[in-house]
Amino acid sequence: MSKPREVKSSQRSVASTGKAGVRYRQEALEAFYDGFKAAGIDFAVFLPDSMLDGVEQLMIERGGIDIYECSREDEGIAMAMGAFLVGKHPVALMEGSGIGLSALILARGIVQKTPILLVAGHNSTLGERYDYHGATRMVTEPVLRALDVPFHVLFDPADIRRVIAEAHATVVGQRIPVGILLPSHVIREIGEGR
Amino acid sequence: MNRTDVLRYIAALRNGDPMIISPGLANYTIAEAKDEPLTIYNMELPYTTPMALGIALGWPERRVIAIEGDGSLLSGLGVLSTVARYQPKNLLIFVFDNGAYLTTGSGKAPTATLFGTDIEQLGRAAGMKNTRTVHDLDTAKDVVNAAFAQPGPWLVVAKVDKQDRPAERGAHSLPMYVYEAGLVFHRAALQERSKK
Repeated sequence: MSKPREVKSSQRSVASTGKAGVRYRQEALEAFYDGFKAAGIDFAVFLPDSMLDGVEQLMIERGGIDIYECSREDEGIAMAMGAFLVGKHPVALMEGSGIGLSALILARGIVQKTPILLVAGHNSTLGERYDYHGATRMVTEPVLRALDVPFHVLFDPADIRRVIAEAHATVVGQRIPVGILLPSHVIREIGEGR
Repeated sequence: MNRTDVLRYIAALRNGDPMIISPGLANYTIAEAKDEPLTIYNMELPYTTPMALGIALGWPERRVIAIEGDGSLLSGLGVLSTVARYQPKNLLIFVFDNGAYLTTGSGKAPTATLFGTDIEQLGRAAGMKNTRTVHDLDTAKDVVNAAFAQPGPWLVVAKVDKQDRPAERGAHSLPMYVYEAGLVFHRAALQERSKK
């Protein structure tokens, strides 16, 4: 296994979390980028968060996928749905709390057959240290379940490429949103500052 | 100024441009003028401009129109900062500001614009440059012409009265169900893009 490379977090993420020096699993970041590219993802929206910042920064650094930062996750999902309507293959990346904000736009997408691939941090069970993430923990899975949005909790970094490809196939084939949820250990080094 | 007059003018210039319409009476005027496949009617309240923005970014060769009300845009103002950030030249946002939640219930509940909130200035504060507020039809037509002719993004606020609220409206009077809207729009966009 290659040594993880430290990826510089965006200034906003560092400022909002106070957790500079987060170490990501470089192979996981690469797997996400490669997986998106291989699946045909060509449009991404995100609201910066600690968990996925490394993926987002790598996407910006590597290029090849149009990537946009939104002001709220539900706004970003609506943007991504607009991109889908005109032939793009979008993904929306966010903290799990963003799913909590996005019930209505996800429902709208289901009703009008405008799907989206979601990638969100997952803190429902594993590795959640912080009391102030309690509300986040309570909304991610329940909102997806309430809307009958299929989701997959990705536990093994070796599965990243395959899960992206298969989830995107379901998005396109069934015209429904699909969620990929990431516990912290998949993408960040255990034992490092969280 | 009557909203219907301005909407009909926009519809006449539209030429099939993709359009997202917020919930409210504007949907019926646009549909009556000409139903176009690249239309999403009655978008959920805060998501009209965000969805139009995604279309504009994903299809930069095509002009894209968002039809907002004051109430709908006020429910998701953050998107103005995102529009300003990426400056899509092909995005036109028209806001019909009547100072009320006109479609809802009695139509008497006021929006914040009745108490001084200025949507154009919100857009400018967010970083948008091409912004106008219009109060009469002649000026509105001039500004709409400019928005269709010159690079955006545009934020045009039309201050309109409340006289076009019908007493009765039948159910299902739009030409398309929301259940088919995404399919129709997507297919039309793919067909058009595949020809070029």
